[in-house]
Amino acid sequence: MKTRIGGGGEGEVRQKRPGTLTRRSLVRSGLGALMAAPWAGKLGAIGARPYPGPHDRAAATLQDDEIVLGVSAAFSGPSRGLGTELYRGAMAYFTHVNENGGVNGRRIVMKLLDDGYQPDPCVANTIELIQDETVFLLFNYVGTPTVTRALPVLKKFRDQQVYLFFPFTGAEPQREPPYGEFAFNLRASYRQETAGLVDNFLNIGRRRVAVFYQNDAYGRSGWAGVREALARHSETIAGEATYMRGTQFGASMRRQVEILQARSPDAVICIGAYQACAAFARDAEDLGLHIPVANVSFVGSENLLALMREGRADADAHTRFLVNSQVVPSYEDTSLPAVREYHELMARYDPPPPEDVERITPGEPYTTFPQSFVSLEGFVNAKLITEIIRRMGDNPQRSGIQEAVFAVRNYDLGVGEQVRFGPNRRQGLQRVYYTVPEGERFVPLDDWEGRFPVS
Amino acid sequence: MTPVIQKGEETLKVRKLFRKTRFGFFALFGIVVLAISILSISSVSRELRDEYVSNSESIAKNIADSSVDILLNRNLATLQSLIDQFVQIESIRYIYITSDTGEYLAHTFIPGIPEEILASDPSATEPVEHSLPGLGDFVEVGSPILSGVAGTVHVGMDLERLGLKIQRAVGQQIYLLCIILVTGVLASIWLVNLASRPLTELLEYVVALARERESDRSTHGDVLVRDDEIGDMARLMRYVADDLAFAKDEGRGAGGDD
Repeated sequence: MKTRIGGGGEGEVRQKRPGTLTRRSLVRSGLGALMAAPWAGKLGAIGARPYPGPHDRAAATLQDDEIVLGVSAAFSGPSRGLGTELYRGAMAYFTHVNENGGVNGRRIVMKLLDDGYQPDPCVANTIELIQDETVFLLFNYVGTPTVTRALPVLKKFRDQQVYLFFPFTGAEPQREPPYGEFAFNLRASYRQETAGLVDNFLNIGRRRVAVFYQNDAYGRSGWAGVREALARHSETIAGEATYMRGTQFGASMRRQVEILQARSPDAVICIGAYQACAAFARDAEDLGLHIPVANVSFVGSENLLALMREGRADADAHTRFLVNSQVVPSYEDTSLPAVREYHELMARYDPPPPEDVERITPGEPYTTFPQSFVSLEGFVNAKLITEIIRRMGDNPQRSGIQEAVFAVRNYDLGVGEQVRFGPNRRQGLQRVYYTVPEGERFVPLDDWEGRFPVS
Repeated sequence: MTPVIQKGEETLKVRKLFRKTRFGFFALFGIVVLAISILSISSVSRELRDEYVSNSESIAKNIADSSVDILLNRNLATLQSLIDQFVQIESIRYIYITSDTGEYLAHTFIPGIPEEILASDPSATEPVEHSLPGLGDFVEVGSPILSGVAGTVHVGMDLERLGLKIQRAVGQQIYLLCIILVTGVLASIWLVNLASRPLTELLEYVVALARERESDRSTHGDVLVRDDEIGDMARLMRYVADDLAFAKDEGRGAGGDD
């Protein structure tokens, strides 16, 4: 399968249903590439060669005319909006780059595999991507439970020097030993996001902070962030409730709301995906839990808001207690060069979702957003990875990736914050932004006390 | 002349005798099957439960051993990822990890940690049974992390699933025993019938002797040629009957002379 975006850019889309890494699927994808891709001859030639040893592979020269980025993300299932929007933002920038001659004469191509936001398919996809010697690096993975399980794969294949760039998760495992050395992060961490939320709530007198979280590595990462932040203020988590990954908006969160209501919290921090968090915020409002409901950046703010507003006459009142932390500036802030460029390129290319997503989830076509925090993050990720590849010169090698990243110091990405990497600094950006809904959009929150007064 | 013994009556008596024998066989087999079933239920449930607890302890220890570095690195996301993988094992219904201070660091409960768990001893490692409303009955085992100074791993195994396994194992054994019981009873009926046939023949012959009818005697005379105890008895009966008849004839003759 293959998607062509615009006149000069193109992205190959090879999707897999979760958990289906088989010899047959590998053969099929290889045949698909042979049949469909214009550079099929080269792929075929590589595939016909004996399997090279690890050192050969680390030093393997890439295709002459392209750089392939391997992506495993959620393009199906309840979190498909995240993978899709992240892809669209990145695709807008890569299309622009490719239309303008690529990077040092090479086009940037994404090889997409669908993991449905499930760990086991993500592991299988990662192995497939690493063993595909045309893949230069891994890019834009989505989710903590997926990335957490993929990290040991990177360690296993460490001699092939395949790095994971800018995963869409703020969890700690890819920032700390023993796996931190295999990943580079751009966004702020969940620890930073939750610390900011806790600090702001406590500053306005909301000291009893409860947590509603997805019961997996992602939720636990956010839970740990809230716990640590509260401990700095000599407070503990006031109450906690959980939900299962993959829960849909139609599910009832009544029980979770009741559990938290019994603990009389002043605020709830949600560590989840948009479908479940929207369901929780809906039921909290309906059951009279009228306190701020905060979400971290992973939630997918626009997807969440769209679900909560859908078909409601009182949509504004229904969403008045939401506050979301973000790891990129508001896409409304056109004073920032990167945001202006984002607006321009998203409007020009309007990248469609990867092919066949609708076939994977029949009856649930995905409606894209003109702008969103998630696609802006994908855009910014693409902008920086393009710069890193550009710095690697005409003959980029996997073995030179780390050095190229560490050379990024005080780089102006156009988001109002300098990007800096180093051997002990594997996260480029540090800033966290806070937003609240205003109509159908999230806008920056400046006055916490005015927005969420303590009665 | 009125027959000395009614044939049907005697046959009935023989059938009654063997019916009791058959009932005895059935009762004996039943008792054996019942005793084996009780023993089987007891030993299977005990062994399966022991194995269940042993497996749980191994899993808890495995997690405890794997958790040390993760806990010391405060990497709770990885810890959660670890227990999420173990909870996929059949029969494990929940896992939670408590710190040395009793704080719940990671768990698999949805929508929250049950009150019964919160009320239990967070450092307990001995097997203990929990009945959690809405979740079911569980046997929980614990394993200390770094001898307990880093916390404790708790693994809850589903007792309902264990019960089903026991039922299945015992059911299979009882099924086999029932087949043996039915086969045994059928075989015993056949054997008893086999044994009763010559006795019936003997009885019929004796009845014929008593009737003193030559035609009857010749009809049931096959029993005389048997070379077993029944044949011996038949021949003995005929000898006694003949002897009696001879004595009777002699007495009648002597009376005529008078």
